[in-house]
Amino acid sequence: MRMIRKLTVAAAVVSVAGCNLDLQNPNSPTEDQVTTSPDGVIALATGLQGRFAQSYGSFAYMAGLVTDEFASTTAALISISDAEQGSVAPGTAIADNVFNLVYRTVRTADDLITGANALSGEIEPGTASGLKALAWTLKAESLGEALQSYQRIPINTFGVLAPEYVPRAEALSAVRALLDSAANQVAATPPSAFFNSGIMTPGSNLTSMIYMFRARYARMANDDAAALANANLVPRSGTAAISVLTFPAPAVNFYSNVTGGTNGIAPRRQFRLSMAPQDQRGSYFVIPSTTAVGRVGALLDPWNRYANPQAPLPVYYPDEALLIKAEALANQNQLAASQAALDSVRTDCTGGRGIDDPKACLPPLAGQLTQGQLLAEIYVQRRYELFGTGLRWEDVRRRNAIRGLVAAPSVPVDGQRCWLPYAVGDRNANPNVPADPAEPTAFPTGCAL
Amino acid sequence: MRHTTVRRFRLAVAFAMIAMPAVAFGQSTGTVSGRVTDAANGRGLPEAQVVVDGTRLGAVTNENGSYTINAVPAGQRGVTVRRIGYQPVTQTVTVGAGAATTVNATLRMSAVNLSEVVVTGQGTPTERRKVGTSTASVDAATISRAQANTLDQALQGKVPGAQISQNSGGPGGGGISVRLRGVNSFISGSDPLYIVDGVIVDNSSAQLSDLGIRSNPQNRLADINPADIERVEIIRGAAAAALYGSRANNGVVQIFTRRGTTGKPRYTYTSRYSSNELREQQPFNFYPFDVAGRPVARFNYQDDIFERAGATEQNLTVDGGSETTKYFISGNFANEDGIMRSTSSRRMGARVNLQQQLSSRLIGNVTANYVQTNNELQAFGEQNDYGIMGSLFFAPTSVDFRPVNGIYPLPPALGTNPLLAIDRIRNPQEIDRFIGSAKLTFNPSTQLLLDYTVGLDNVGFEQRQFVPRGAVLGTAPLATGRSQSVFQATRVVNQDAVAAYTWKQMGAIELRTTGGLNYTAQKVRTTAATANGLAPVGDLVSAGSVFSAGQTEIELRTLGFYGQQEVAWNDRLFLTGAARYDASSTFAPSERWQLFPKFSASYVVRDNEPGMLNSLRLRSALGWAGSQPGLANAYSQFVTYAQGPFAGRPGFANDITFGNPDLKNERAREWEVGAEVGLAGGRVGGEFTYYDRLVSDLLFFRPLPTSTGFSRQFFPIGEMSNKGIELLVKTNNVNSRNLEWSSTATYTRNRNLVEKLDILDFQSAGGYPNRIRQGEAAGVFYGSYAARDCITGGLLLDSLGRYRRSNQTADMGATLAQRQAISRGNCNDSLVKVIGNPNPKWMGSLLNEFTVARKVRLRALLDGVFGNDIMNLSTRAQNAGIASNSKTYEFELLPYGDPRKLPPTFNSRTQGIFEYWVEDGSFVKLRELSASYLFNAAPFRRVFRDGIDVTLSGRNLFVWTDYSGYDPEINLFGTNAGGRESVQTTAADRGFDFGGYPIPRVWSVSARVSF
Repeated sequence: MRMIRKLTVAAAVVSVAGCNLDLQNPNSPTEDQVTTSPDGVIALATGLQGRFAQSYGSFAYMAGLVTDEFASTTAALISISDAEQGSVAPGTAIADNVFNLVYRTVRTADDLITGANALSGEIEPGTASGLKALAWTLKAESLGEALQSYQRIPINTFGVLAPEYVPRAEALSAVRALLDSAANQVAATPPSAFFNSGIMTPGSNLTSMIYMFRARYARMANDDAAALANANLVPRSGTAAISVLTFPAPAVNFYSNVTGGTNGIAPRRQFRLSMAPQDQRGSYFVIPSTTAVGRVGALLDPWNRYANPQAPLPVYYPDEALLIKAEALANQNQLAASQAALDSVRTDCTGGRGIDDPKACLPPLAGQLTQGQLLAEIYVQRRYELFGTGLRWEDVRRRNAIRGLVAAPSVPVDGQRCWLPYAVGDRNANPNVPADPAEPTAFPTGCAL
Repeated sequence: MRHTTVRRFRLAVAFAMIAMPAVAFGQSTGTVSGRVTDAANGRGLPEAQVVVDGTRLGAVTNENGSYTINAVPAGQRGVTVRRIGYQPVTQTVTVGAGAATTVNATLRMSAVNLSEVVVTGQGTPTERRKVGTSTASVDAATISRAQANTLDQALQGKVPGAQISQNSGGPGGGGISVRLRGVNSFISGSDPLYIVDGVIVDNSSAQLSDLGIRSNPQNRLADINPADIERVEIIRGAAAAALYGSRANNGVVQIFTRRGTTGKPRYTYTSRYSSNELREQQPFNFYPFDVAGRPVARFNYQDDIFERAGATEQNLTVDGGSETTKYFISGNFANEDGIMRSTSSRRMGARVNLQQQLSSRLIGNVTANYVQTNNELQAFGEQNDYGIMGSLFFAPTSVDFRPVNGIYPLPPALGTNPLLAIDRIRNPQEIDRFIGSAKLTFNPSTQLLLDYTVGLDNVGFEQRQFVPRGAVLGTAPLATGRSQSVFQATRVVNQDAVAAYTWKQMGAIELRTTGGLNYTAQKVRTTAATANGLAPVGDLVSAGSVFSAGQTEIELRTLGFYGQQEVAWNDRLFLTGAARYDASSTFAPSERWQLFPKFSASYVVRDNEPGMLNSLRLRSALGWAGSQPGLANAYSQFVTYAQGPFAGRPGFANDITFGNPDLKNERAREWEVGAEVGLAGGRVGGEFTYYDRLVSDLLFFRPLPTSTGFSRQFFPIGEMSNKGIELLVKTNNVNSRNLEWSSTATYTRNRNLVEKLDILDFQSAGGYPNRIRQGEAAGVFYGSYAARDCITGGLLLDSLGRYRRSNQTADMGATLAQRQAISRGNCNDSLVKVIGNPNPKWMGSLLNEFTVARKVRLRALLDGVFGNDIMNLSTRAQNAGIASNSKTYEFELLPYGDPRKLPPTFNSRTQGIFEYWVEDGSFVKLRELSASYLFNAAPFRRVFRDGIDVTLSGRNLFVWTDYSGYDPEINLFGTNAGGRESVQTTAADRGFDFGGYPIPRVWSVSARVSF
């Protein structure tokens, strides 16, 4: 019996020791670990900016492809050359990416807001304020990108099993309300120095971003007064004048990722050829080519702006503020002031403010233009100044310059389609996804909003 | 009641074989000898095992059937004689001290052996007659005669109910998948649980660097030396495997390695030399003119890629022992070159199995197995940057790949230069593995058996990869060269304790109660270092200029308790009820503890009685089992955040796979009924089983609305069933002095059906046209098809004779009305449909063995799979515009007027019609063919105790099939379930041939001697 005892004890000891079945995942932190510690929430803010870089890149890529900015390179997938001709089938990965990545950014922003609120006692007020404002700002801009790509979008998605889609006007107010919250937040409690230097991506300025985005969406809502007021608040000089996302090696910027290989796109050569010959924005963005031809025959120029994989991605180009200002003033019939703002875009020359942004270096406009002429010129300048930011699509849409699906346009007219089909990933699991909107079949056409 | 007594004796023998109870020490001894003969003809029976019950004393009969056992303790002893194919006999004799006792035995042929002892699924050794489920067992002779590199290869064609497929033909066994009774899960690979001497072992197919993402270079069962194996038991499903709980849904394969026997050291040396060759080349486009009619030189790169390759294998074993200590020691060296140049596999291993009588009631067993496997592999399958097969299929035959001034030219569009890959790209693997176990068996009384096993499987695996600068097309980082070193350490610790109590007999009723616990902990640690931008010289990571690294750690623990009650009535009717209560760390704490019950009944109607129907047993069982997610999804219960560093700072963002805090296991319910039948005086034996299995709560990714910022969640998504028939028939056709002829046939029929799917049907193999779809078999091909005339069913070709894709504007007409008009109906209205089924309708095998004049043994195994479809994407790649190297493409180049001429762009049309690439994959393989001769004349036997056994053999010599690719057995996927989105693969993904490594034809000569 002694042996039985020994054996039993041995078996029991060996068996039960280390029997803990509650293991943690050492590879990825859990929700608790991230959202309930200041360090976790701060890392969430970095993750948010990373996600924003992704969703913003994906939006700009797709917007450029269905307008006259980009075309597919020879190695590209069929779906990319289809998209440049305006054909985007539901489920096309590059299109669904826009939706999916935008809402990942939104989710991370919501997580950050939740975390910053929950930890308000543990994070010093300036930092907590910055975190919340950053989350509201990037959530707003991401939703703004969604409403520039989809006819209807969901705006309440946090903790909701089947988000509902709302019309554009409602979405636009929600975006503007988020930006207002952000602006009020930074006005009430300015972000701490730690937030500005240690949390914001070096080279980006939260306050400037808020003003620029407020101006952008005020303009989109035809709120000229707010557009003008906020455009005037965007700094014109110094480090706060521009905000960029940086990609230290081995990271690469979004456009570097999609210029080679099967996702390959390049700027259409027509971008450069259509501008005034002395316009320096051509060589700022592209390297002139006489040979590059795309998958379905489009003439291409390789990127110059993003030729270096580590080239920073601008959150906005500063002169967008001037263009919004010019447009608001033109709408308010302040034609001289509008033309002056527009001329400062046209005459921006190398050396000027020392900022890495497109510089037309053109002569000022001759004589006072009419309101209609000014708005047309603003449209032209926006095309060259804001190349590759995705904003072209909204401009094309509001100018009713959508052409609809057409086979292999080697020189397309402005824009190829109104909206993207809703993401299959959402449709498969969300009963609230509306039917895909019909695309126009005649040119020029506006888009049903 | 005498019958019962004999039966009890047999059971005692059974225990003796496994538990080895003690002999009383210090007694005087005598000798037992005699002769074993065949009841049918009075001939002496060689190779019969004679054992003294209650001891480990025994002998094997010689050629005349005679044997002698020395030093048998005096007293009343049972002597049991057994031989494969015969009914065992036990006789009771009194052995006198210092006296010679004669025990002669006459054995009756019996193709059904209900007295065989099985262990797997029972907790403790149990006679087959008592087990209500079917257990397949395969013995050492069957394994060694297969002349296979790995155990799973050796099992091919031997086990009804098992689909054992060699997914690739690489050296060292190739990646082999085993499906017992069909596909039962999408998450866990559907491979059975492997147990070696009670130790759960790792059979992963880790791909630590990209050798073709989802392809199958080797599964780790390849580390087990087939020559060390004594016996394999296979239980096929939930009913039999309930005692393994939440991981037994796919069945269990238990391997028992060889043990020592009492006596002087006995050395056995086996040596084998093999020659591997490509079975047949694929046709390519060798037309001497190009599309414009200009003369062009064509090259057949198969001559440069494949070669006849040699293999050797050496095995030395020694076993022996005393009354108290027994040992088995083996050393093994195998070296195989692959038929693809620059690939090879080398395995060196040693094993020590020791058994020590620690006291009269306590026995210790220790096994230790060290293996080192070294592979040199090349990427194949869907690796199209530097994979050799992809490069072969995608390169036009007009490209001259020979190096110019030492520089290898690259192909025009896709892939690499295969000659460069052979010469310079290297993918070495080194696996250092230790499998060991310690077991204590304690018999405090004749009624109580206690058993405790602790086991360890420790695998250290390094995968390196070296792709030199300029070896691939394009400007991606890979073109600057890549060096990678990935270390993976896998450790499985397994503990098993079991107690069995046999109650005192109560009239006709006998009872046995078993209880046990099992605890398994698995830990997998992986560290990867990668460098791009390699220096011109040096192939280690340190030769790079751009670095990246990664690390993961995964741990899984499973704890289970089980109990089993057996009731026997009159040794005829056996009822068993059992349950396992089981918890795995991978599941949510609230759902973790699950109960898996089983019930079985067995009734022996006749057991080796005279007459036409001499044996009959009926059995039925019902049981539940589960399955756990694989390592890739081990932490699916947690809502986690992904690392998202940005701008050089650490960051987190929500993982787009949402955790499932209520995660629980898949649950299979299976019932089976069956019978064993012995006919014609034991000359014919049959085993029949019908089973019906339903797996519910199948785990997979259900889509989440992407507007929530998530994409998917691991979730119960539906139900799947497998129903089928397994049949095994053994016959002894001729049994005369100079000729023995026996046959074994198996038949397997399985019907898989996705019974219920709560999510939309989905592509299980990311990027490939297959589907998991309610109402269809799992993994059916689902894709574009060729338009047909809705009335005649004939192909609807266009005016040039090209295929039209259904419902396609360009091919069929702009409006649906136009398309329906030329279709004469609405049969072409969809763009996609089910276009094939990779699951076989049935499988069968036929083994014939002849022994001529007791010296020559001939053996032939035919193994076939029928009614399965294969999608030949290799030939599709050949037909792609950038390759244009197929025979069909050649027909496009032929001059008009040639009857084989195909219209221009015929092949570019078929690229988009996946139905065109679906072929009948039925095949019959001459899996094994061998002839052995025993040189046992006196001169030989003076040197070698049993003479020299020389075998000439072949594997995969011939394949009868209509399939046009290299081999109908290879599969792009199969052992690497896991991955997500574009690299997702599940156990259901079968029948895709895309750049597979062809399975070689193997000729071998081997010799075995012992001294």
